[in-house]
Amino acid sequence: MQPSRNNKAWFAVAPVVLVVAFSAIVPLMTVVNYSVQDIFDVNTRIFVGLDWYRETLRDPRFLEALLRQLSFSALVLVLEIPLGIWIARAIPRQGRQTTVFLIILAVPLLIPWNVVGVTWQIFARPDIGLLGAALSGLGVSYNYASSPVDAWVTLLLMDVWHWTSLVALLCFAGLASIPSAYYQAAALDGAKGWRLFRHVELPHLKSVLTIAVLLRAMDSLMIYTEPFVLTGGGPGASTTFLSQYLTTMAVGQFDLGPAAAFSVLYFLLILLLCWIFHASVMRRDA
Amino acid sequence: MASVSVSGLTHKYGGNAKVLDGIDLEVADGEAHAVLGGSGAGKTTLLNLLSGLLRPSSGAIEFDGRDLADVDAAERNVAQVFQFPVLYPGLDVAGNLGFPLRNRGWRRAAAQRRVEEVAELLALGPLLDKKPRALSLFEKQMTAIGRALVRPDVALVLLDEPLTAVEPAAKWQLRQALQRVRRELGLTMIYVTHDQTEALTFAERITMLHQGKVLQTGTPEDLYERPAHEAVARFIGSPGMNLVSARVSNGELRIGGQSLCPCTLADGNCVVGFRPEWANIGDTGIPVSVRSVRPLSTIGGVQVALVTAEVGGATIHVRQPMHTAGNGQARVRIAPERLVLYRHGRRL
Repeated sequence: MQPSRNNKAWFAVAPVVLVVAFSAIVPLMTVVNYSVQDIFDVNTRIFVGLDWYRETLRDPRFLEALLRQLSFSALVLVLEIPLGIWIARAIPRQGRQTTVFLIILAVPLLIPWNVVGVTWQIFARPDIGLLGAALSGLGVSYNYASSPVDAWVTLLLMDVWHWTSLVALLCFAGLASIPSAYYQAAALDGAKGWRLFRHVELPHLKSVLTIAVLLRAMDSLMIYTEPFVLTGGGPGASTTFLSQYLTTMAVGQFDLGPAAAFSVLYFLLILLLCWIFHASVMRRDA
Repeated sequence: MASVSVSGLTHKYGGNAKVLDGIDLEVADGEAHAVLGGSGAGKTTLLNLLSGLLRPSSGAIEFDGRDLADVDAAERNVAQVFQFPVLYPGLDVAGNLGFPLRNRGWRRAAAQRRVEEVAELLALGPLLDKKPRALSLFEKQMTAIGRALVRPDVALVLLDEPLTAVEPAAKWQLRQALQRVRRELGLTMIYVTHDQTEALTFAERITMLHQGKVLQTGTPEDLYERPAHEAVARFIGSPGMNLVSARVSNGELRIGGQSLCPCTLADGNCVVGFRPEWANIGDTGIPVSVRSVRPLSTIGGVQVALVTAEVGGATIHVRQPMHTAGNGQARVRIAPERLVLYRHGRRL
């Protein structure tokens, strides 16, 4: 039988195509367009080829922000993934408590980024914040506004507080889908603790962990609001991540050409990292 | 290996009805024992109690006379093969087979030697370095069986409908493999199933479970020829035993007023049970009306038929040579020495 051609189906897809075109493709192409021109005003533009890209890649402040960005994301993953798994394993699998745990875990996910930023900004202030003042009272020298280490610690705490729940909830779903026979077999085979986790639970968590790592990697690579609210990228430039620096360039200095080249590189970087991770997971599966 | 003794075993989940109610069970060292029952009979609960995954509400379980009330699953030294092959997906076949040994602190080399022995026994050698996802269902279940046999000191092997997931053609092969290793290793095995063919061909003795109670324990012949309970009579055999209401009066056993044979029982109602091949429909005996004749198979040049007929208000099935059977009015003869009589559901 010949497959019948029904091109009418395109009409059904058309609205989505239009929305995606206007929301994603058109802006992206605009940015690509900007990135190869030097723009003085609406009528004065000079085509400069890949100059902005070369300049960006040679810009020491870009490279520093990139290094900070990669370190931050790596730390976020190193902290949140194991912690999320640990929490997921600690949640009771069934019963009324389960619901309570899940609701408590979901709460941070419902809070907007800037609110989290403001909350922690106040919470950690050494003069009036509960955490900051308590630490000062105990004689611990802690001040995110003056110490880069303290600023990083605060940002990491904030991110862990905000997003570990996501990892935990995904892992809980993964754990809950393991048929009970696996646990029974493991119990009879004498597997406990690490060996139970390593050989029974972890293999079944693989797909949700892939999703969790991808989501947290992408999201943390794009972090903007929290450092902006906390210290505005300081002290110094110690918490100026890529998006922070980009905003300074594009909005603060109105350097549209370099900022566009920066944006394209930033986008490609996130895409590349996620693709490499995903491809390596898939290859090991095959 | 161990002998298993279960007495008065009762279990209920939460505050619900009893899933198992006063189970008594004796399994000798090295015996192949089947637990047969329909769904909801409590078979899986019984297995989980034996393996220690569940604690009974009351009653005792002993292995070789040792009470297991305070012994948890890992220390009972019980292995189980599940309905669907349960393999550890990250480990290859050798890793899966060696898993219970490594968990118990065996050295790598010793575990490997033992794994090779078991692989040899089950012809799993060529698969040792394959991951579970590369295996067929049959190979997966063979590996799961291998893992159950790998501990040399395993006290008891439990099998929970292990042939369910395997393709029909491989069922026979798997059953043969199980029988062979059981004989070679002298394993005590308890095999749970709802499939009477599996139970009758696998086990030396069978326990029939129904609604949480033991109806009968005995050899396959016992259960087939002398079912202790009407439910056993109906469950075993295909079709099951014919059960016809009858009456004893004046030393005669009568069906629908017709005398069947002399009987020494006290007068009163009872139920007569007989297997389809213990009767013959022809020109002599009690009148029956034949409803249908269905050809079955040809054995030794004789076509065998399953005859459905009505007698005394009950439908009966008779298996007999084809040429003697025809539709309409006929008579049935039942070998009186093989008849089984029931009152209130129990054998007299």
